[in-house]
Amino acid sequence: MLFPTVEFAVFFLAVLAIAWSLSGHVRTHKVFLLAASYVFYGFWSWRYVPLLFVVSLFAGLIAQAIQLSENDWIRKRLLVFGVVVCLVVLAYYKYTSFLLLSAMGIWGLVGRTPVWNIPAPFLPLGISFFVFHAISLMGDVYRGKLKSRLRLLDALLYVAFFPQLIAGPILRASKFIPQLLKPVDASRIRVNRAFLLILAGLFKKVIISNTLATRLVEPVFATPADFHRGDVLLAIYGYAAEIYCDFSGYTDIATGCAMLLGYHFPRNFNAPYKATDPQEFWQRWHISLSSWLRDYLYIPLGGSRHGTLRTYTNLMLTMLLGGLWHGASWTFVMWGGLQGGYLIVHRLWSQWSAVGRLRNSTWWPWVARVLMFHAVCLGWVFFRSPTFSLAGTVLHQLSSSGVVTLASWPVIVTLVLGIFGQYLSPKLRRGVEATMSRLPMVANGAALALGIFVIEMLGPTGVAPFIYFQF
Amino acid sequence: VKAYQRFSTVWQMGVAVCAFVLLSLVLESGGLMDWAQRLELGPERTAALPAAATLHRALAPWGFERQRQRGLLALARVGWSDDPVLLAEVHPKPVVAVQPEIAKPIATPQPVEPNPAPLKISRPALQPGIDPPLLSVLPEIAPVQAGKTRTIALVGDSMMAVGLSSTLLREAPKYKDLTLVKAFKSGTGLARPEVFDWQTEYPAMLGSAKPYVVIVAIGANDGQGFVVGKTVYPFGTDGWKDIYKQRVEAFLAMLEANGATVVWLGLPPMKSDVYDERIAEVNRIDYAAVNANPQAIWFSTAGIVGDAKGQFQDFGQVRGQTVRLRQADGIHLSDDGAVPIAVKLLAWLGKQVPKEQTPDANP
Repeated sequence: MLFPTVEFAVFFLAVLAIAWSLSGHVRTHKVFLLAASYVFYGFWSWRYVPLLFVVSLFAGLIAQAIQLSENDWIRKRLLVFGVVVCLVVLAYYKYTSFLLLSAMGIWGLVGRTPVWNIPAPFLPLGISFFVFHAISLMGDVYRGKLKSRLRLLDALLYVAFFPQLIAGPILRASKFIPQLLKPVDASRIRVNRAFLLILAGLFKKVIISNTLATRLVEPVFATPADFHRGDVLLAIYGYAAEIYCDFSGYTDIATGCAMLLGYHFPRNFNAPYKATDPQEFWQRWHISLSSWLRDYLYIPLGGSRHGTLRTYTNLMLTMLLGGLWHGASWTFVMWGGLQGGYLIVHRLWSQWSAVGRLRNSTWWPWVARVLMFHAVCLGWVFFRSPTFSLAGTVLHQLSSSGVVTLASWPVIVTLVLGIFGQYLSPKLRRGVEATMSRLPMVANGAALALGIFVIEMLGPTGVAPFIYFQF
Repeated sequence: VKAYQRFSTVWQMGVAVCAFVLLSLVLESGGLMDWAQRLELGPERTAALPAAATLHRALAPWGFERQRQRGLLALARVGWSDDPVLLAEVHPKPVVAVQPEIAKPIATPQPVEPNPAPLKISRPALQPGIDPPLLSVLPEIAPVQAGKTRTIALVGDSMMAVGLSSTLLREAPKYKDLTLVKAFKSGTGLARPEVFDWQTEYPAMLGSAKPYVVIVAIGANDGQGFVVGKTVYPFGTDGWKDIYKQRVEAFLAMLEANGATVVWLGLPPMKSDVYDERIAEVNRIDYAAVNANPQAIWFSTAGIVGDAKGQFQDFGQVRGQTVRLRQADGIHLSDDGAVPIAVKLLAWLGKQVPKEQTPDANP
């Protein structure tokens, strides 16, 4: 069930009405939300609802066992066991074909390339997200960040809660489960903020992302050799805007829906293309994933506590695995490697004394911003291309001259909005929110309806799935 | 609490949501009707369609739908829309009086010319319900004039859009006389013309192009029932098969309108057994329709991307490398998986030139 569809609108309105009518009965309310989440997931395929249930039940039981045990040795073994099982599940569903292909490729280096036709499993929707939630649950309990006693129902709902189930944001158990312990507050719903988030998300996804995808990015990345420098550069910038608007749009809608249900999600994007260095970029882009990788991978690997070389190794390893998390392909590993490389180069560069003087200048942040944006764009070429050969052709075509054919005005408008929209002041959003809050509630609802009507008129026909669904 | 952070009660939220729902129903009654019609047969459609139709009828006198259509046409007029039908409506092709043809020297560029009369391919009559072969041989078709650019239309649903079209487009520049035209749309098919009508959309997608060959990959969304009039035809019933075959035949006739030869790609085996059975049924009907049509050629893909028995396989060898032949959904072709199909098709197209011409490339 995609967010920008009638099916989701009907589903969500029904869930909203029933959930609030049950809000006084905490347990029934949670059971209902859990059932609604399974219906939401089952709308894609009922076949994998048991998998979602088993993974979350397993994580919940392990987390409870960790919480009950007072023996550190046992607690650690339970955590390791739980994490390994979750990763095996993820590896089986997501990486079987990748591992088989890689093994066949390596075999081919020493002999005749074999074809082992072991059937690869279907990829369950959102498996990377719900497995990471399961790991976060066990990890937070192990670290004692969850102060209250974990109930199984809360664990199941935390992993499966439908607004975040298939494309995040990755919630922390320690932040979300406490919200489940008390009744949702029926007098503190931020309707105007939620409506704005839903509208902003739909605008980003349906208008900006879909327009750029269909009219610019897909044609160029399908046959890059047919296009020259101008179009290819536009398509790379276009993909940067497309993926940002696609993913942050999903997050906005998810956050708005959760807010209407009375729950708070953390911020997942904070104008990432305003970043002036790689570290800042990862503090602004997919914040819930980057902080997850930091807390559950980089720091356990040793972080920056064991010398320079080990720090760089940990950074690279974290980003390589982060790349692999996005997709089972070497092009994603390359993307992760580039990000790791950027972080290392930035650390080395930051040690020079001249850099401090540069940073104090007024012009340097803008130069750094432009450099950082283009470094990110280089990464997106590998992220978007299914093969290295195609990525190579895209980059090669940057040196070819010829006419620009795809710069229609809708493409330019959506591209400018997608990139430079991030520079809009937060005051503007707050101003709109404040204006909405002064209007009668009927006007708020009417504004949302009108906004969606305009978005539907302006959007291309058909709704493309969210890019992050595949992860 | 800051000014913009106003909290509301459930009652206030209920008022806002009700206002949203009521206004949305009024503004989007046309869109809701389209949505309800597009739903697959089942309880959801049974419940939604009468409700949407009643709403649509009740609001029709208010003229919202007309305004919406005007708005869409205005957007097409200023170049915002990319919908081919809307664009064709606001930028109609000029009507050109038919002039008697005057023979021109061959050296003169002849960008748009009627295609040569296609060779009729005679075949023995086929019993309905026969499985297509695993592999098929592409016959020779009418040769083209020397120096003429040949237009090849790529037509279909996501089976053409994902993997295959981009691979064909990437491989085609080796043949300098081929121009490929994109005329495909994901999420479409032949079973539900009320959802997407190829008879209307295809001419708009094609514009002024006159294809010499049309390569078709379609049918992945056709494993579903449909309604004609007030009769429901569940998938696979005799009535369904008859009507679907008529739709395939009408589609073929439209594709061949300008003398184009149609190459119909049989859909490859699918990973899900249930879905594979449905697609096999679609293939059988398509195969019978194509075989009965003298201007159409069947091209099996099962023997190329399937195993020795034509069953689904994930991996195979392409250009000496072991690759994944299909997308993770087990339905669409991967770019690598599309390569052997594209190479065979383009090599065949490369042969359809007069002897005195030298092909620019041999695959």
